[in-house]
Amino acid sequence: MHETLRSIETFLYHTGYGDFMRTSMWAWPVWESIHFLGMSMLIGTVGLFDLRLLGFARSVPIGAMHRLIPIGIGGFLMNLSTGLGFLMATPDQYLYNKAFMVKATLLVIAGCNVLFFYGRVFRRLELQGPHAPPPAGARIAGGISLTAWIGVMAAGRLLTFYRP
Amino acid sequence: MHNTAAPVDPLFTWIESTAFSTWLREEPSIWAFPFVLILHTWGLAFLVGANVAIGVRILGAARGVPLGSMERYYRVMWLGFWVNAVSGVALLIAYPTKALTNPLFFVKLTLVAVGVLLASRIRAHIRELTSTDLRPMPGGVRMLAMASLLCWAASIAAGRYLAYTYSRLLVDFNA
Repeated sequence: MHETLRSIETFLYHTGYGDFMRTSMWAWPVWESIHFLGMSMLIGTVGLFDLRLLGFARSVPIGAMHRLIPIGIGGFLMNLSTGLGFLMATPDQYLYNKAFMVKATLLVIAGCNVLFFYGRVFRRLELQGPHAPPPAGARIAGGISLTAWIGVMAAGRLLTFYRP
Repeated sequence: MHNTAAPVDPLFTWIESTAFSTWLREEPSIWAFPFVLILHTWGLAFLVGANVAIGVRILGAARGVPLGSMERYYRVMWLGFWVNAVSGVALLIAYPTKALTNPLFFVKLTLVAVGVLLASRIRAHIRELTSTDLRPMPGGVRMLAMASLLCWAASIAAGRYLAYTYSRLLVDFNA
């Protein structure tokens, strides 16, 4: 296990992207700003959609609100690409960090929840009216998503306090 | 960095010596300073997030959502704002010298104030709509939405750069 982590660490460290992040004078704070902006785009679309599934703002039509999700995906991709920059710059600061493990686990949970939502729930949600109460599965998916992203933000903010 | 004593240094000295300020800085538990930072991040996500949703909707995304029905999201926005006002004051009490001797801090506060002002101007237009009205907003409101999105992006960047641009950390401890 430790050997595997070591080789992943070495591989990430020696990438061109990691090298760029370590040597650039300006990249880190710019990347962080993008990371927080992407986070806001995700919460403002996916988070508000989750709240709608949970019953908040019932006069918002569910199907139409779902059209905002691509902006959330855009925010997520911004965060994935900037986040990989942080990880590749100093992989040891993340791979042996408890907060990072929690954040990664929550991201996997959020990802599985996306598969569950589009695989099991979305079709039924589309078939019903825009203001009909969402089925139990939709509410569960919304609750898991919102909880996971709130946890991702907390774990992300804790990264600095759990540096190895 | 040289020690530039400001006339307000006695005020910084006093704030930094209060029990709350000392506790925030020195308590190792994650429920002290780290939790205040978490609150500030959660508040930011919902404050800016709700502004993003309403802003992009005005600019033409998700046209099937009546803007009038989105007025509810102002509750989310204000909750985020107040969480950040309170957590922000706590961060200021923990490190008053760090924030108040950095001109960028006042730039950030101004950007947030303009963002809040734009949000309430936009809300005044949304309030005139019924919860089913799907007509596009006039050009003036679109300009407000564009300004709002730029303003929040700039506030985020200003906030982030506070960690890189301060010249004094504590009243008797230079960066």
